[in-house]
Amino acid sequence: MEEVKKVKKPRGIAHLIPGKCIACGARCQSDCPEDAIEMNDKGEPIITAVKCIGCKRCVKICPAQALEMYFTPEEQKILDTMTDKAPEEAEVVEPGLKEYRGVWIFIEHTEGKPATVSWELLGEGAKLAKTLNVELCSVVIGENVEHLCQESFSYGASKVYLIDAPVFHHYRTETFFRGICYLVEKYKPEILLMGATGMGRDLAGAVATKLQTGLTADCTGLDIDEKGYLLQTRPAFGGNIMATIMTEKTRPQMSTVRPHVMELAKKDPSRIGAIVRESIDIREEELPTRVIEVIEDASGDQLDLAGAEIIVSGGRGMCGMENFSILQELADELGGSVGCSRAAVEAGWMPPERQVGQTGKTVRPKIYIACGISGAIQHLVGMQSSDLIIAINQDRNAPIFEVATYGIVGDVFQIVPAMTERIRELKSKKGGSPKNGSSNNGPSGKE
Amino acid sequence: MFIYISTIIFAVAILLFCWSCYKRFRLLMLGKSVDRFKDFGPRLKNVIFYVFGQRCTVNHGYRFGWNHLVLFWSFMFLLIANTEFLFEGLFPDSVSFSMLPVSLYILIEIASVLALLAVCIAMLRRLAFPPSYIEARSMDAFVILGLIALLMVAFFGLHASEIAKGELEATFMPVSNFVASTLFSDVKQETLNDYIEAFWWLHAIVLLAFLNYLPYSKHMHILTGIPNVFFKSLTKVNTQIREDFKKGNVFGVGQINLFTWKDLMDSYSCTECGRCSDNCPATNTGKSLNPRLVIHDIKANLLKNGPFFDNKKAPVLPLIGKGGEGSVSEEVLWSCTTCGACMEVCPVSIEHVPKIVDMRRNLVEMNAKMPGELLTFFESMEQRSNPWGIVPSDRVKWATDITVKPFEAGKTEYLFYVGCFGAFDARSRKVSLAISKILDAGGISWGILGKDELCCGDSMRRLGNEFVFDRMTKDNIKILTDKGIKKIITQCPHCFNTLKNDYRQYGLELEVIHHTELINNLIKAGKLPLNVNGADLGNVVIHDSCYLGRYNGLYDVPREVISSVTGRAATEMDRCLEKSFCCGAGGGRMWMEEEGKRINVTRVEEALKKDPKTVCVSCPYCLTMFEDGLKSTKADDKVQVLDVAEIVSMGLK
Amino acid sequence: MLVITCVKQVPDTTQVRVDPVTGTLIRDGVPFIINPYDTHALEEGLRLKEKYGFRTVVISMGPPNTEVTLKKAIALGADEAVLLSDRAFGGADTLATSQVLSEAIKKLGEKEEVAIVICGRQTIDGDTAQVGPGIATRLGYSQLTLVDSIESVDLKAKKIRVRRKLEGRHEIVEAKLPAMIAVLKEINSLRYPTVPMRLMAEDSKATLWDNKIMGLQETTIGLKGSATQVRKIFSPQRASGEIIGEGLKDPKEVSRLLIDRLMEKHVLSL
Repeated sequence: MEEVKKVKKPRGIAHLIPGKCIACGARCQSDCPEDAIEMNDKGEPIITAVKCIGCKRCVKICPAQALEMYFTPEEQKILDTMTDKAPEEAEVVEPGLKEYRGVWIFIEHTEGKPATVSWELLGEGAKLAKTLNVELCSVVIGENVEHLCQESFSYGASKVYLIDAPVFHHYRTETFFRGICYLVEKYKPEILLMGATGMGRDLAGAVATKLQTGLTADCTGLDIDEKGYLLQTRPAFGGNIMATIMTEKTRPQMSTVRPHVMELAKKDPSRIGAIVRESIDIREEELPTRVIEVIEDASGDQLDLAGAEIIVSGGRGMCGMENFSILQELADELGGSVGCSRAAVEAGWMPPERQVGQTGKTVRPKIYIACGISGAIQHLVGMQSSDLIIAINQDRNAPIFEVATYGIVGDVFQIVPAMTERIRELKSKKGGSPKNGSSNNGPSGKE
Repeated sequence: MFIYISTIIFAVAILLFCWSCYKRFRLLMLGKSVDRFKDFGPRLKNVIFYVFGQRCTVNHGYRFGWNHLVLFWSFMFLLIANTEFLFEGLFPDSVSFSMLPVSLYILIEIASVLALLAVCIAMLRRLAFPPSYIEARSMDAFVILGLIALLMVAFFGLHASEIAKGELEATFMPVSNFVASTLFSDVKQETLNDYIEAFWWLHAIVLLAFLNYLPYSKHMHILTGIPNVFFKSLTKVNTQIREDFKKGNVFGVGQINLFTWKDLMDSYSCTECGRCSDNCPATNTGKSLNPRLVIHDIKANLLKNGPFFDNKKAPVLPLIGKGGEGSVSEEVLWSCTTCGACMEVCPVSIEHVPKIVDMRRNLVEMNAKMPGELLTFFESMEQRSNPWGIVPSDRVKWATDITVKPFEAGKTEYLFYVGCFGAFDARSRKVSLAISKILDAGGISWGILGKDELCCGDSMRRLGNEFVFDRMTKDNIKILTDKGIKKIITQCPHCFNTLKNDYRQYGLELEVIHHTELINNLIKAGKLPLNVNGADLGNVVIHDSCYLGRYNGLYDVPREVISSVTGRAATEMDRCLEKSFCCGAGGGRMWMEEEGKRINVTRVEEALKKDPKTVCVSCPYCLTMFEDGLKSTKADDKVQVLDVAEIVSMGLK
Repeated sequence: MLVITCVKQVPDTTQVRVDPVTGTLIRDGVPFIINPYDTHALEEGLRLKEKYGFRTVVISMGPPNTEVTLKKAIALGADEAVLLSDRAFGGADTLATSQVLSEAIKKLGEKEEVAIVICGRQTIDGDTAQVGPGIATRLGYSQLTLVDSIESVDLKAKKIRVRRKLEGRHEIVEAKLPAMIAVLKEINSLRYPTVPMRLMAEDSKATLWDNKIMGLQETTIGLKGSATQVRKIFSPQRASGEIIGEGLKDPKEVSRLLIDRLMEKHVLSL
């Protein structure tokens, strides 16, 4: 374009830095205006040099910074002589985005019992709202849930949008999603956060699709950038990498946030705020879904291993069936489930459905505590992709320590009860019950 | 009149016998074809060795085998006498006993006495020292033994009365003569005539009854035993036949007519001696598998369904079903460790394991039916080429702390095929390190394939997943040929057997050597600087790997290595060498759960009887099973399990 | 009537290692597999086919080599496989993905009525669990996530009854068809393909639908239709292989160190 100058500024050719591609799903190929990129079987780009016009779009879009511009030595020389910089393209801010103001937190509850993650989100939301200098609001939808408004205030919300009607008695995607969409379209928040729980994920996916806006799942970190955009950080690729994601062109910016991660807001029952009552016309008979029955899991029931977030597992080192009770106690305190190795099943100490490993269940809990398990390969393959592994074993050379995040070399029969005791001690200090973030029961706010 | 009656009775009885045999033969022909005719010489040698030498019958410490040997040889001589008798019955005028050379008489006499004795011993044994299973005392057995005894009694009665009457020269018939002089000396001439006739008819009826009873009893082995040995596999039965994966084909054996005719002949030949079950690790630990019954069920199924196939109708009894006579249950099939102990001791060379694998193939390939644990195992093998589904790049982790060169064609002599256990399993990785240390000390030029190494596929084949095994093999062969590999050292006897014997079917001829064999060669050649000192190993008990020993005949090698290193011979367990008891992991059992009394615990308890400080193994499967078993029996603080290579590496100067 | 199962071909993320020095992903030798949750969706589709006589179609959006994955679905018993592949579909987030998938379902529905769409709970590479709800919302289907059992399907009344697994409870929900069901792994146990089916599948072909056939607006699909952008990617800080309280004798002290560490790292909160 700069025909006035004698020497054309070399544009270079895009090229892949070996080993950096994460096979994100062909963003570079998709963005290339010249169709100069093909993907190989590993999901990595192959750039056809003759087709590349050096537009840098692929370099900019690559989330892993795996692409760069390549210049020949001659080109590099020319580049070095050219000191003047072309002005960067000015960012075009989408019109209309500025209308959206405020940080909203969806208060999750089960028939009026709030989920703890909601209060965690209010804590985090308060920080974001402060940075943006906007209001922090709660959204409460349900039947007879007004008590959640006051609780929201005490956890830091200054306003609550409330829809209270019999049709919202049970959570149903259809009703809640319509309620939220109605509120968002009317009051236009810039950020909407929900817990990354079963309900939150069910609802957020529907809401974001309806509103045609961006949604980031299971975030573990939130921040605001210099332009005021929400930076949402989450593990990706099976937790092997972290990605920071943003929604630039649409509003609200939506995230579901992993329970446990954010700090619980300080509760101050003296705080007050405004309740905005809204109603929406949904008739029961036009709804496609009906909750027929709710079956509460009996409290004595063992949690299913596959779905457990915390697993306390015992092996041959437990020395006998009766000793599994100390693991059960620890699991109970943590809100987890008890698993075991093949050896424990073979010895008849535990039933086969509790077995973790090659011939048992493959589990991926947030925390896996291996007690008296040496770590035979048959066990390791069933649990090694757990987010965090704690190994307790007497043998310092046991293979389990190779996969453990934290290891304790010692006597299981002393360490495990000591851990349980420590947790109880901490709990009694706080005066609360254990927080299992994805659990809806246990109104931890009531002291 | 008398002449005609005997001719008619004999002719009818013989024709009936031929008809029975023909019916049995027709059923045999329902089986698929298999070439068992080539190499006449070696086959004849087998017959002489195993049939006339009765090698398998008397081997393996079966004392009553000698009784069978006596009975067998007596029958050989009596065959002559009885053939003559049959001809005499058919053609009374033209054939007579006197046509045989007189010198044979004495042999026949001795044979008859021995036969009578043997039969009595056999009966006594069944009554006084019965074998472990109840069918040994069946009516079937006593009927046959009774018939033989009766035949002998008639034989002596006939000849004694003929001698007493002076019709027969007594010189070469001492026993008959004795009977004549003691029992018949006072009998009148006319009465003697009646005696002759009566004994002759008794002999005739018993013989004809015996003949016609044979095809319907377990004593059919008298007829099929010899051909069965003749057609036996000329090599050790250490592999399975390949399948052709074409559309429209049927895979595995789910119906009796999908077995080969030799398989069916095996089922005819079973003598129900029960030695296979005596030695089977599954049977011995109370599993539902009993190899004798598997063979019996195949026969029963054939007899039941055969006529329907003959008339192109659908079979009425499923081959693989709920169990019960004539039907093999799935549980039975999955219990086999393919250890081969059954085949090793079978006196009539029945090949049990390939039949079980054939039926597993049907379950896996045609019906996708298998224990739940195998689903993940199969997926891992197919996708990641290792049993646990671990990422291939982890295959080099075992060698993190040492320098290992990749195999380079032309530069490296041996490929060290580490194997899945050697590469991934924490315990076996130590064995890999020991082997590499020895190879370096012995000045061997070796390299590895690293992350490119694939699983050999042994378990897949034994579990009946031939389709995936076939693919894995082809991938493996491509890598091995592309890299120009000629010589391979394996750590695992299963890799060893698969690379050596299974891959040969694909045209790949490699020099495959198990690490114990190479180590032994190095020691013999004086290339390993060893400290002979077995003090800290204590009493070393040796355990044979099935795939090294029974499958490939390598019994001496690990023993020689142990004595070279420790300075004394290893302690043998009660069941050792050919009769060694499996650790329980072979045949894909490693990847399945085991119910009831555990095979490895049984074997460990056996080892503990010898008060060892060290149990020496040469297979990663055995290593794992022994370590597990020792922990279960709480003996792991007193007894250690070591691979042969570890023992050697500890003794390196 | 159709049952449509949505599957995705993913790298087996459980096999990915992170280079401890450079922090980059080691993807060498990591295979592409059917997303494990989707295998249960496929299985459920096949069971519905066997029980109610549906026709089962498997659809997947992905690069051309996804066909291998789809052939596996055919070997397991799917009647038809449709591969949605176009460079314009690349770089899609969940919003743009659900657009392509729902349009494909609409297109399939033109020929034969769609009764049920089944998705896996989430994928192991993205872990979002958002595509299923996206499809349901776009198509206006009943949305049933976290399903661990399909109780019954009433084709006459066009209703389905499922059990949803929630935290601490189960819920029996009845919904009108057509419905989108996102299933958990616990819903069924998988089958293994027979050899005759595999041989048949080897000769089969997935129907390829590119954007010429789909005719979707470029601003609604792929990278351009995505509402989220990845700003950056970095490797997580991992405390790996740390022995807590090395040398300490007192179990109480060691336990305190461990629990405090967990609290500090926000892995555990009480």
